[in-house]
Amino acid sequence: MEVIIIPIIASLVVIAMGKRIPMWLSALFSLLPILLVGKYFQQMGVEGGWKTIFDQPWISDNIRFTVGFDGLTGILLILTNALVPVIILGGIRNDENRVKITALTLFMQGALNGVFMAQDGLMFYIFWELALIPIYFITLTMSGVDAFKITLRFFLYTFIGSLAMLASLIYLFLHTANYSFAFESLRAVELSHTESLFVGGGILLAFLVKIPVLPFHSWQADTYTNTPAAGTMLLSGIMLKMGLYGLLRWFLPLAPESIEFYQPWVIGLSVAGVLYGALIAIRQKDMKRLVAFSSLSHVALIAAGIFTLTDAGLEGSVLQMFVHGINAVGLFLVIEIIERSTGTRILGELGGLAKNNRLFMVFFMLIALGTVAVPFTNGFPGELLLLKSVYTYNHNLALMAGLTIIFCAVYIFRMVQFSMFGEGTGSVAALKWNEILAFLILIVGVIGIGFMPQLIIDIVHNSIVQIGQWVSEARGVMS
Amino acid sequence: MIALFVTFFSAVILLFAGLNKKESAFSLFAVVSLFVSAALSFACANQMVSFGMLESWVPANMMSFGKEQHLFAALLAFITGFVILMFRENENLGTDQLGLMMFSLCGAYMMVSYEHLVMLFLGIEVLSIPLFVLAGANKQNLASNEASLKYFLMGAFSTGIFLLGTAFIYGGTGSLELEMMGIKPSFMHAMKGMPIPVLINAGIILMSVGLLFKVAAAPFHFWAPDVYEGSPNRTTVFMATIVKVAAFVAFYRLLNTFGGIKDSWASWLTVLGGMTILWGNLAALGQKSVKRTLAFSSIAHAGYLVMFLLIADGTNTWILWFYGFSYAIASVLVFSIANQAYQQTGDFSFDAFNGIAKKCPIVAVALVIGVLSMAGIPISAGFNAKFYLFSFAWQHTPWLVGIGLLGSAISVGYYFKFFKHAFLKESNNEMQFVDRGLLISLALIIVALGAMPWAILNLVF
Repeated sequence: MEVIIIPIIASLVVIAMGKRIPMWLSALFSLLPILLVGKYFQQMGVEGGWKTIFDQPWISDNIRFTVGFDGLTGILLILTNALVPVIILGGIRNDENRVKITALTLFMQGALNGVFMAQDGLMFYIFWELALIPIYFITLTMSGVDAFKITLRFFLYTFIGSLAMLASLIYLFLHTANYSFAFESLRAVELSHTESLFVGGGILLAFLVKIPVLPFHSWQADTYTNTPAAGTMLLSGIMLKMGLYGLLRWFLPLAPESIEFYQPWVIGLSVAGVLYGALIAIRQKDMKRLVAFSSLSHVALIAAGIFTLTDAGLEGSVLQMFVHGINAVGLFLVIEIIERSTGTRILGELGGLAKNNRLFMVFFMLIALGTVAVPFTNGFPGELLLLKSVYTYNHNLALMAGLTIIFCAVYIFRMVQFSMFGEGTGSVAALKWNEILAFLILIVGVIGIGFMPQLIIDIVHNSIVQIGQWVSEARGVMS
Repeated sequence: MIALFVTFFSAVILLFAGLNKKESAFSLFAVVSLFVSAALSFACANQMVSFGMLESWVPANMMSFGKEQHLFAALLAFITGFVILMFRENENLGTDQLGLMMFSLCGAYMMVSYEHLVMLFLGIEVLSIPLFVLAGANKQNLASNEASLKYFLMGAFSTGIFLLGTAFIYGGTGSLELEMMGIKPSFMHAMKGMPIPVLINAGIILMSVGLLFKVAAAPFHFWAPDVYEGSPNRTTVFMATIVKVAAFVAFYRLLNTFGGIKDSWASWLTVLGGMTILWGNLAALGQKSVKRTLAFSSIAHAGYLVMFLLIADGTNTWILWFYGFSYAIASVLVFSIANQAYQQTGDFSFDAFNGIAKKCPIVAVALVIGVLSMAGIPISAGFNAKFYLFSFAWQHTPWLVGIGLLGSAISVGYYFKFFKHAFLKESNNEMQFVDRGLLISLALIIVALGAMPWAILNLVF
């Protein structure tokens, strides 16, 4: 409850103070919720299911403001509330839009916390949409002739997906025994095969657009490239995780009858997306665009892992969600700092940046290694688990998806090489304390998880086992 | 009932006291009396007040104010109060306008509370006749004259059709009272095999056509864009909110009377509803003028409310109240920002909004909240209204709900044009917005209705 309210109040404070608000204060605001998350971990623990923290009638007597907590929620709360401070510390330029973007980012933090904690279907939907509003207005600060077209496409894609989900949720709601949107009642609804195809399809559409999986991805690259850095970081670091979290938390338990039908499609499309994103990323000149396509490729692998429904796939997906958040935000932060110093992010115009700023070079290299999934960095264990799960589903698909490791090394190292080494005129200014702090938070994630991935898997294990159980029960009934 | 008296007498006072005087001197009086009407009828919402008379020696109930009617009257008075308050500074045309608007409001009260079709007819006339004048109030403007004439012709036409329907109904049922009217056809319907008389079916269709004209639902909406565009801004808001809400309440009460033979009218009304939603939203996409866009958006909203008519059963009237309230308050907010932008730029295309975000961020925030509410995006009153409506309608008319969701998606295309111009475009004009406090408080009402709808609905109903 508090983790939703505090950032929203903080964003109002930021608006009220306007230009007078120093950056460190807004960063401090954004750090408050993570203390509360720690408190939840201490009080609630990660065992014993999805426990309700707060419950209050909201839209009607049966549609309630219910927030819950368990390992899966906890991991995503940590991710959100650790990355938002990083974004505020490093990702927001000190220009005329600073206050606006800071306030919107804080608002977004509250809405995202709401998404990850909602235990009520409609509350989930409302926060899902609410998270879209601030990011839309962050993207609206982009400049360029096509700005309106790009932002509208982004909004429409996600909005249409959301409406499909709303229709599905209302359908489930009307079939619950006591007309309730509570997660448990929605889950208890028994659907026929045809019904579940429609209901599951609606829910799935919202998540696939957000992730995005292949045919629904065309909003992504343009939006990422043109949005201010803070927006790109929010989108890639946290917003995408909403879709993946939704798959785990809402799609699999609510419409398990339809999994059988959608499984081959989603895995096939995801693997296609893995290759497609990687191949396109290799050809990119704009660094932001490159990372956008790399993100497409990485996230598609996570979606494939979820849909294999194996323990390795589900646990690996949560681990990789966390890791991808850190790495994507890290890469975009690097790009942002390069662009701030040199005024460009086109690979052909850069070079030799490593010479005058060794510290920056080290940070960049560590994050790049994490993205490429070198052993003992954070990318490795998750990717291994995911590929293993895809392998158990289908060998040939795993073979194709496995190529991504090579491709990823190609495009990431190509980016590092062209920007940092060789000859060039530009130089990166010495890092300020806030940028160093932001990098340090990220590096702790990169190295820490690289050595101790089990930490995260232990936290989510109970939730994942529970979800796996529901799915296999439903499939048992089906067959 | 008390609202009717207060509003009527204040209107009379305004008309005489304000003869040949400037409007702004009296607008505060009008606003206060309207808010008093709203508060009084809200306060005595639990009382039952009836007005009857002898009809050929038989006592007949003409109108009655129960809880529902009181709350609708409070809504109408409250919104009108805000309309006058927000538009008090501009187009200083004369106090008679205020009086006329309040007389028109009296008609709206009658439409909300009628128990007898004669009262409904009188209500429609009392509502419309002042509006014919108000639409043409901008005498120098050709468009305003055109709007007045068009509205008058369409009004006369629709009233004629409506009256013919009333006559048919009288022929078919032998009564004009709501209580009596519905009994005969429902009884016939219950006795399987007895066909419903053609007179009754024809009567329902003709009366519905008359009312569909008033609410501007497709295919009887052609007058709306031109009239909305030509009328002075304040009249446009009044027509888009008060007239629409009042006509829908009247419509709902009429159709609810014939709830027993729902099968006979639900089918074509569903088709019209879907048509209205799609037509309104699609046509709005291509508009360049803000006023025309909002006119088509109000047509689309009429389509959503037609969905309500199909599910109304007398117990879920609060949906109509909530939808009407959230729609009206968002309309007033967006229209008054548009009006102020228009006053300064003299331009009623979207370009009037250019650069608001930079020059007046507070107004931009209010605009965002109003537009998001109209588009039905959480957390706003509009979302909750649409959600209640859709979740109730899903079981009766799933396809119409599907069209409604599609319409919501389409509507983003034109509602977000506001954001494009407010946030992306630059402008060199100086912009100065007055009433910023009022704009923000309207926005806060929308957010409050969005954030805690159930608490507020429990308070009201």
